Amino acid sequence: MKLLIHDLESKDFKKIFPNQLDDTMVISDNGTIHHCIGCFGCWIKTPAACVIRDKYGDMGEYLSKCKEIIIISKCYYGGFSPFVKNVLDRSISYIHPYFVIRNGEMHHRRRYKNHIDMKVCFYGENITEKEKQTGEKLVKANSINLDCDISSISFVNSIEEMEGQIL
Amino acid sequence: MKIALINGSPKIKDSASDCVLQELKVFLEQQDNIIFEHHFRKPQLSTEEMKDLVECVALVFAFPLYVDGIPSHLLNCLAELESFLLTLNKKEIKVYSLVNCGFYEGHQNKLAIEIMENWCIKSGLKWGQGVGIGAGGMLPSLNNVPIGNGPKKNLEKALKQIANNILKSTSEENIFITANFPRVAYKFAAEMGWRQSIKANGLKRKDLFLRK
Repeated sequence: MKLLIHDLESKDFKKIFPNQLDDTMVISDNGTIHHCIGCFGCWIKTPAACVIRDKYGDMGEYLSKCKEIIIISKCYYGGFSPFVKNVLDRSISYIHPYFVIRNGEMHHRRRYKNHIDMKVCFYGENITEKEKQTGEKLVKANSINLDCDISSISFVNSIEEMEGQIL
Repeated sequence: MKIALINGSPKIKDSASDCVLQELKVFLEQQDNIIFEHHFRKPQLSTEEMKDLVECVALVFAFPLYVDGIPSHLLNCLAELESFLLTLNKKEIKVYSLVNCGFYEGHQNKLAIEIMENWCIKSGLKWGQGVGIGAGGMLPSLNNVPIGNGPKKNLEKALKQIANNILKSTSEENIFITANFPRVAYKFAAEMGWRQSIKANGLKRKDLFLRK
């Protein structure tokens, strides 16, 4: 399964993906997402699931069942948009609270065994060079923490530029 | 001098960010400063709060590292603040950030600090300094340990340095610290803490490993 997390408006999404997406779970912003409250309940109260039972409460499970994650996000200061970041913040049940040493640094241990390839596309009209550098480093850091591979990181100026490039 | 201390943790109480700000506040109260304390717990800011913030000469953020970056609710607040700031002319404000993470190494907060620096540029504010604090998970349990002692030795040095810069409105290189406590012991204590917490919730140790 592929997991597609995006913050596009419905009309833009249809422009980029005019056809039905096979074997792909799409995570969109329907305006109802709650933010992570830092309770760690997804590790110690309802392990592997978020305690907030909105539409985004099983992100860890979805990650565990996918082989590829595609993130389309407006670039905010070299990072993800608030919605995409919210989805990622709500996804930490994918990993285990225990620590391992990876690349000489402390990171979280895996909960699942699946392997993920991550593809990220940042969009926005005024993305600076410094923001691009931050964005690249951020995706690399995410890949270390999720223990996954990066298949591509791209920056585009407009939604139109994305058409035909994502899948 | 008006200084805003902004807690960016979504936790109501017992956050490491609050511990850091309370320790820092002591070093800032030594002069005739007016310190305003804000808590950004929700993803929205009121216009009143934003008006109060832009009256300050220094905005000092303290927040936890979430997935290598800024917690989403705080990010939304920053985006709102950026839009508000862009409507104003007067922006002689310096921004300082203290980011803590559960990982041992303070430098793992580097990208969150970089995102704050990028936010300053977009919002027309001046960057002051960032402090990346490792082993932040320990801080709430060390409330009774005086700053400068034991595991909080490095913290005192870093907070004094950033306080000095806030008081003088100066900028300096970002600094990264961790607790004066061995990494192996921190890892052991943290994992023991997770086992105690899950048992306190009526579950078993093995439930930490549950899969869906």
